[in-house]
Amino acid sequence: MELQHNRHILKTEQLSFRYEDVKKPILKDVQFSLYPGEAVLLLGPSGSGKSTLAFCLNKLYPEAVDGELKGTISFKGRRLAEFGPGEINEYIGIVFQDPESQFCMTTVEDELAFGLENMKTPPEEIERKIDEALELVHLLPYKHSLIHTLSGGQKQKLALACVLSLKPDILILDEPTANLDPASSYELTRILKEIKKNQTISLLIIEHKLDDWVNLTDRCVVLNKEGEILFIGSTAECFNQYAEELLHEGIWLPSAVRAGLSGKKAGIYHGETLPLTDRELITGFANPSAALQILDNRKNKHQGPEEQIILSAEKLSYNKAGKDLIRNISFSVKTGEFVAIAGSNGSGKTTLSRLLAGLSAPSKGNILFNDRPLSQWKEQELRQKSGYVFQNPEHQFIADSVYAEIAFSLKIQQIPEADIQKKVQAALLQVDLLKCADMNPFSLSQGQKRRLSVASMLVNDLDLLILDEPTFGQDARTSGQLMKLLETKIHSGGSVLMITHDMEIIHSYADKVLVLSEGEKIYDGLPDALWKKDEIMEIASLKVPYIEKLRNDIGSIAGREKLALT
Amino acid sequence: MLLHEFNPSIKAFTVIVCVLILSVFFDPVTPFLTLVMTAAATFIFGRVSFKRWILLFSPFIFMAAIYIWSALVFSKTIEGETLIWTWGIFTLTEESFLRALSLGMRVLSFTSLSLLFILTTKPTDFLLSLMQQCRLPPKLAYGIMAGYRFLPLMKEEFEIIKSAHRIRGVPKARTFHDKAAELKRYTVPLLAGAIRKAERTAMAMESKGFTGDKNRDFYHKISVSWKDWACFAFFIGVILISAYISWLFGFLQFYNGEL
Amino acid sequence: MLEKWKLREVIVLSVLAVVFAVVYLAFLQFGNVLYGMFGLIGYDLIFGIWFIVSIIAAYIIRKPGAAFLSETIAAAIEVMIGNAVGPRLILSGMIQGIGAEAVFAATKWNNYRTWVLIAAGMGSSVTSFIWGYYISGYAALSPGYVTAMFFVRLISGALLAGLLGKWMSESLAKTGALNSFPIGKELKRGKPENGITA
Ligand SMILES: Nc1ncnc2c1ncn2[C@@H]1O[C@H](COP(=O)(O)OP(=O)(O)OP(=O)(O)O)[C@@H](O)[C@H]1O
Ligand SMILES: Nc1ncnc2c1ncn2[C@@H]1O[C@H](COP(=O)(O)OP(=O)(O)OP(=O)(O)O)[C@@H](O)[C@H]1O
Ligand SMILES: [Mg+2]
Ligand SMILES: [Mg+2]
Repeated sequence: MELQHNRHILKTEQLSFRYEDVKKPILKDVQFSLYPGEAVLLLGPSGSGKSTLAFCLNKLYPEAVDGELKGTISFKGRRLAEFGPGEINEYIGIVFQDPESQFCMTTVEDELAFGLENMKTPPEEIERKIDEALELVHLLPYKHSLIHTLSGGQKQKLALACVLSLKPDILILDEPTANLDPASSYELTRILKEIKKNQTISLLIIEHKLDDWVNLTDRCVVLNKEGEILFIGSTAECFNQYAEELLHEGIWLPSAVRAGLSGKKAGIYHGETLPLTDRELITGFANPSAALQILDNRKNKHQGPEEQIILSAEKLSYNKAGKDLIRNISFSVKTGEFVAIAGSNGSGKTTLSRLLAGLSAPSKGNILFNDRPLSQWKEQELRQKSGYVFQNPEHQFIADSVYAEIAFSLKIQQIPEADIQKKVQAALLQVDLLKCADMNPFSLSQGQKRRLSVASMLVNDLDLLILDEPTFGQDARTSGQLMKLLETKIHSGGSVLMITHDMEIIHSYADKVLVLSEGEKIYDGLPDALWKKDEIMEIASLKVPYIEKLRNDIGSIAGREKLALT
Repeated sequence: MLLHEFNPSIKAFTVIVCVLILSVFFDPVTPFLTLVMTAAATFIFGRVSFKRWILLFSPFIFMAAIYIWSALVFSKTIEGETLIWTWGIFTLTEESFLRALSLGMRVLSFTSLSLLFILTTKPTDFLLSLMQQCRLPPKLAYGIMAGYRFLPLMKEEFEIIKSAHRIRGVPKARTFHDKAAELKRYTVPLLAGAIRKAERTAMAMESKGFTGDKNRDFYHKISVSWKDWACFAFFIGVILISAYISWLFGFLQFYNGEL
Repeated sequence: MLEKWKLREVIVLSVLAVVFAVVYLAFLQFGNVLYGMFGLIGYDLIFGIWFIVSIIAAYIIRKPGAAFLSETIAAAIEVMIGNAVGPRLILSGMIQGIGAEAVFAATKWNNYRTWVLIAAGMGSSVTSFIWGYYISGYAALSPGYVTAMFFVRLISGALLAGLLGKWMSESLAKTGALNSFPIGKELKRGKPENGITA
């Protein structure tokens, strides 16, 4: 590869990192280099140490945390240890995984100015640089906004603008799209592509969902569960040759690769290597239309939900701070039904779910749970029958250890200690957290936190579970595990109401989908029919699931061929 | 010319000097006149709405009332003062009445000066000015600013903790004992959350290259001009005029160790 | 003084100060009620609460200046969010902070046993009382009453600042939020050191 001949800009040698209170090192002998102008994907299962590595590369660790770092990291041949405080941050910028925790000022403008002042930018140039950076991420109209009034997606874009304004040589992005709606996350990759085209910048991107990224990145670095390097090489090589190993580690594959792999297993894909693009995939099929049938991983429709309605909302409205956040929404959830809620960032999904969980009271309208108005339920009785998972997993935590977190509600119900222990162990095993049982919930990785918050609700036998984006930040294995748990819930007669930005999940699991836009319900029906409504998809910043996209592509290719024949 | 536009550090200095000068006088009239004039300045040059002002001011009226009451009831009786009223062990003399009244007025005049400052100054500007004019170390100033940012979040945080407990089916507190336990269940996580956020903010600041270096060029420059000193002189003038009027009417009295 | 502080410590300090500024403001209203019920001495009953951040910050951060700075910043923030006592309050905060700081200084900032924390709370009581005597005019009151006020405040400082502060810091350490501070490490080791009785 041509880039390899350049001199590396960042290099780690035998890098190991251990958190003080954990015996086993999180990173072991990690060795890789980053070259000027290239984009590298850092892959690995949840909890493998990707974020930890990102912090080490930026010299934030080991200073900000009690841990022990061995080996060396060097930037342009100079060891990080030799850089003075704050010096390296001029060259290496980072966008943190948690969008809430990376701002230190109150307004957008001040936040950007803060970084520029730190870099000793002459004050008269600062204004221009601020405008430039905001323009790049389309946030200029929000220059004077207060940061805490921005939506999740806007915060993520602002974080990006902050680092970009400093013009770093290396940019580290830790799951920059985890909470974005499909359109915004596509937009973000587009912005990065533009930047990469216009300036020499090296990108190190940590992501789970790869579809939008594969054609932007040059190389992949893959970590395994143990925090060792599994593979380093070009993106194409990585997915063409090592797809099965990656899958085994629980790492997501780009959709085309995954489809190619299952096609290959079914004996219908005849390409030489696994495909990276849809075009490659389609040409690899002898009969593309027939392949679609096999590839469609939609769950078999279960017996069809019973007609019993468990939750119904009637003409809900909610306003706060003079804004109508929810407007006149009615719908119902039946027993055994899996209902998904989708919509763009800031459309009111979380607000609606809080109303349904009885955490805030609607300004107008009624909510009936088991045919009884929510307001007439006794708090404790209600919580034994319905559960809620917050969008931010940390909001769920009230205990000081992972074990105690799950045992908490069991203890309230006065279940015997021995039973609690059994139940908790089983739950931890299901979400792959058994080895973290004694840890503090707050020191888990982002994905582990998410799983813990879901698990803490799943231990109870609930009739209805409301979840706010329960699968973000998960690797392929843990995401599968979570969805299986939810399916089990459905099969045992429970109902699930789930907010998600993941169209694949809606396609594969949902019986019904609601789409919100600016606090209003703009769609309520089968997912299949939704994919055909272009206007709604556009307004709500949605994206068709991969299989639909493939169907359309095949259709248009076939159409063109037909056209060519006539 | 709005009060908001003056240099925050000099404004704060003005208020402190005014308070110090005021505490030299000890009669009810001087502070009363200062109070009236300061309040007027706040409304005219600060464009502060009366509603907002009185909302913050009223607790101090209550406080002043208690001050007066306390000073009356528990006052030292000094021989040779003019008696107005006695009832059992309570005695009220003209002098002690005036003393009590002065104390109350003092509290209120201090309050009005402070309100003038608070209601016309943006906290971030004040901190910037402290860094630029008073050489406050940036490490501390930005630390305080980061801390200040938590304020609007604290209410939110409290709601979140409450929701988390409700979701887990923690029974509602009814008895006093339960309520006390609930208070602990809320305050400790609230503080713990604040500390966690603080550590993360520190990391975010470091990742943006903040070192606490004292040589810092600022984007927002807070300047000092002759107008700021004119403002300073104006308020000192207000107090001196109050004292003069008080003297004209024969009330003026200096503080000499009664308190 | 601040050069030896890590940024993390400075920010934790000021966040503590902000949180307690709000608490202080709330207690001001409560104090007014007690004041109304018992007269001036009603204030002294709860006066200790206004020193608590000194004790907590010093106990957690354990660096010279923690007690003084935290109290001062708390007062400054209180002024900014609308305690109409105004900039003068900052001076009161400094004086209260000096009282506690002096006690920690006497142990060269490396003893944080229970009795030291209690003494620090009382230290603030002493300095704040002297200041109050001057500024709020306690001399106008009868000497017996003033003495009673002083002792009530001393006890309040010991209990509400010293003991309550210690207890709160330790409850906080148990949540794991202080793991990177000495107090959290002591708790993890389970070894009582510098006065932790876990
Ligand atoms: N402060 C800490 N103390 C102890 N262990 C920690 C701490 N932070 C993280 N860990 C552990 O280190 C491991 C790696 O965490 P890290 O956040 O780097 O994972 P990750 O690869 O980014 O995962 P994810 O994809 O879920 O974000 C996890 O098992 C986590 O539990
Ligand atoms: N406390 C609040 N005060 C005022 N406006 C609010 C408040 N909370 C949320 N909003 C606004 O309500 C709208 C809906 O917010 P909500 O969190 O429900 O969006 P969402 O659909 O869950 O978005 P996301 O996909 O980013 O999670 C947003 O525009 C947001 O700015
Ligand atoms: Mg991570
Ligand atoms: Mg949401």
